[in-house]
Amino acid sequence: MQESLGDIKHMDVLDQILPLVKKPARYAGGEWNAIHKEWSDVDLRVAFAFPDVYEVGMSYLGLQIFYDIVNRREDALMERVFAPWPDMEERMQEYGLPLFSIESRRPVRDFDVVAFTLQYEMSFTNVLNMLKLTGIPLKSAERDEKYPLVIAGGPCAFNPEPMAAFIDLFAIGEGEELISELLDSVLKGKKSGLSRQEFLLEASRLPGVYVPGLYRVEYRTDGAVAKVVPLQEGTSARVTKRIVRDFDQAPFPSRPLVPSTEVVHDRIMLEVLRGCTRGCRFCQAGMLNRPVREKKPATVLEQAAAQVGSTGYDEISLTSLSTSDYTPVKEVIKSLLDQHAQCGVGVSLPSLRVDNFSVELAKEVQRVRRSSLTFAPEAGTQRLRDVVNKGVTEEDLLETTGSAFREGWRAVKLYFMIGLPTETDEDLDGIARLAKEVLDLGRKARVPRNKLRVTVSVSSFVPKAHTAFQWEPQDVLVELKRKQAYLAGRLKERGLVFNYHDAGISFMEAVFARGDRRLEAVLIHALELGCKFDGWSEYFNFERWLEAFRLAGIDPAWYAGQRYDYEAPLPWDHIYSGVSRRYLVEEHRRALAGVTTADCRTGDCPGCGLCPGLEAKPSIAGGL
Amino acid sequence: MPVYRMMYTKEGPARYISHLDLLRTIERSVRRAGLPIAFTSGFNPHPKIAFAAPLAVGTAGEAEFADLELAGEIPATSVQRDLSGTLPEGLRLLEVRQVEAQTPALMSMVERATYRAEARLNDQLSKDTLDRAIKVFLDQPEILVQRKNKAGERKIYDIRPGIFDMSGRVDNDIIIIETELKTGSRDNIRLEEVMDAFSANSQLPLQGKFVLYRTGLYPAVEKADKTLW
Repeated sequence: MQESLGDIKHMDVLDQILPLVKKPARYAGGEWNAIHKEWSDVDLRVAFAFPDVYEVGMSYLGLQIFYDIVNRREDALMERVFAPWPDMEERMQEYGLPLFSIESRRPVRDFDVVAFTLQYEMSFTNVLNMLKLTGIPLKSAERDEKYPLVIAGGPCAFNPEPMAAFIDLFAIGEGEELISELLDSVLKGKKSGLSRQEFLLEASRLPGVYVPGLYRVEYRTDGAVAKVVPLQEGTSARVTKRIVRDFDQAPFPSRPLVPSTEVVHDRIMLEVLRGCTRGCRFCQAGMLNRPVREKKPATVLEQAAAQVGSTGYDEISLTSLSTSDYTPVKEVIKSLLDQHAQCGVGVSLPSLRVDNFSVELAKEVQRVRRSSLTFAPEAGTQRLRDVVNKGVTEEDLLETTGSAFREGWRAVKLYFMIGLPTETDEDLDGIARLAKEVLDLGRKARVPRNKLRVTVSVSSFVPKAHTAFQWEPQDVLVELKRKQAYLAGRLKERGLVFNYHDAGISFMEAVFARGDRRLEAVLIHALELGCKFDGWSEYFNFERWLEAFRLAGIDPAWYAGQRYDYEAPLPWDHIYSGVSRRYLVEEHRRALAGVTTADCRTGDCPGCGLCPGLEAKPSIAGGL
Repeated sequence: MPVYRMMYTKEGPARYISHLDLLRTIERSVRRAGLPIAFTSGFNPHPKIAFAAPLAVGTAGEAEFADLELAGEIPATSVQRDLSGTLPEGLRLLEVRQVEAQTPALMSMVERATYRAEARLNDQLSKDTLDRAIKVFLDQPEILVQRKNKAGERKIYDIRPGIFDMSGRVDNDIIIIETELKTGSRDNIRLEEVMDAFSANSQLPLQGKFVLYRTGLYPAVEKADKTLW
């Protein structure tokens, strides 16, 4: 059926099925700033594939950046494709529709390149399911040059092994420059008629490209990975992540797509800062996005002005891992408001540090202070906050939330993690105590009883590759559940709201975050059993996952609960984040000793090894 | 502040924009056009855009109406020109006129709407057979459909009094039904339920479902020739 679907027939079928599905705007396209290029005008067609629903994928800034970079090229086009919601998938199968792109509504298998982003482990089944819906063979080894090249990037590419069998090529690190080099390489290969194998060998020479098919894995007798080694001479034993040298001048879209239906982040996303060197020991993003680089205020203002005009949004969100750390943040907010407030355009900050400076900032940007403020103390006691290197004290939190209530906020959200290394019930008591003290401050500030709300949101610690806690096991599932119940019992009070994540999802996330190539078999079974949208608790089915592991003959607890020695090889050792192993070992030791480490911005270099290793350095913006 | 009445289409991909999202989409378009949108006063200001009648998601609109209030006096021709350049695919301005600020709300004016429904046939169908099927359908003393009220309870409702007119024709393998239905805040009839009832009653050789279009919005029957201008 796929081949016979011409454009017109296709349209016809869509008008039959879109009225039958939920939120059909997810599939209809036609958004403002969408780019429609003639297929015959370009040499290379790339599908950007986001393995989750439209509203989530459209909120990913990276999509907007790549869409802009690729569509600026005269010789290439990029279109989008998202995971169809299960109701749409059912209709597509009923009508024999293959997975199609939003812009031209062409089957994804007609593209030259399909580029997935791997933002979280629990989207792996959606990648497989999307491949299945395209009709492209799942495994890289079963695809030749007749099929699109399937590539992937994003944070999960830093431990690519569980997905190694399905992806032809991983792009490690920042993609702004690599994507262009890669597409040049694909074009060259196409023109000189290279076979898929010849092309992959060629592409593997690009810095930041990892072709899993060019490596083999050796295992130890105890079942652990011994090493991942190149199959032939000339292939690099270690792939180093890419970074953008000049972040300030890195490509940034001036005309981003504006969805016609509400998405998760429905506003201008203006990245002001990349990287965070605070050094929280559980945080993978903090390690993977080094060094810290700030955009110049003039660049931010210029990009904001362009996007305000081209999108019609009424809100500019200054995004980064920690926007209160952006050196010129105050001046930039003031200038943005001076320029755009009279047109009804506001500014927002997605993430706030726990300090009074942040409350001041929030005060400035929020003219109507009804939304809640969110802070992340992460742990309930000073001891455990020192272990994870979260530089927040109890006084900080109480002072900050107290002043927030006095400034007129009525709701505060607090993020914590349970299952952190060395955690005891005392630390859990600390969470409950802190929450109650914050609630008490709200009462003292005379926040009306029926409006006062302190939300405690608790996630479960997942050890991630390339962090100081990569050697640590995850708490066993029953223990995580016990801790959730323990907290639930202690957070019962008027005004307190307790939320926690599904521990089963965190368990599976831990398996894949530190997984290896053998998990390929589990993913195939999971797909066959119908696992998809596993990051959504309404679709996640723990029993089904256990069945997938049973069928593959693999024990998930072995992966989640593994404690690695410092000397032991890790399944992701061949991927180099720039942060040295020696530094991570030292950080892990300091964690266990409860010793904190300063942010390198203070001038006190903790020696993470990135600057010498990648010949890079932090760049901090000056004032206006 | 000046009020502008817009007649526009909602076709192609835009037919799948929900009513709530349409408000946001037009607001952003107005902003992109650099036009000074007027906001309601109060704690949570929202743009002053009022629609004549919500259109079901998936039904195309060929002559929809909405009123837009601006914070400054601008010639209607400029509004039409500027806003035409910033609407997303499928939303197209047909005409813009400035109306008296005290004009009754569009929503209170709408009493009727005309529609077209098209479907593919998988067998021959003569005009006579089609006419007969429509006559049989309309000759029923009542046409009962099931509706859910806000509380989710099922209720039986007679849509026959709200069907003012219905005719059909066949163009090659496409069947085209045109109909006029009661529309507005009271006794509103949805084309979808009419076409479902008609399909069930007539047993025509349809391939797939009807694709739906709203072709016009009108005030009360007495003023038959008048549109919403």
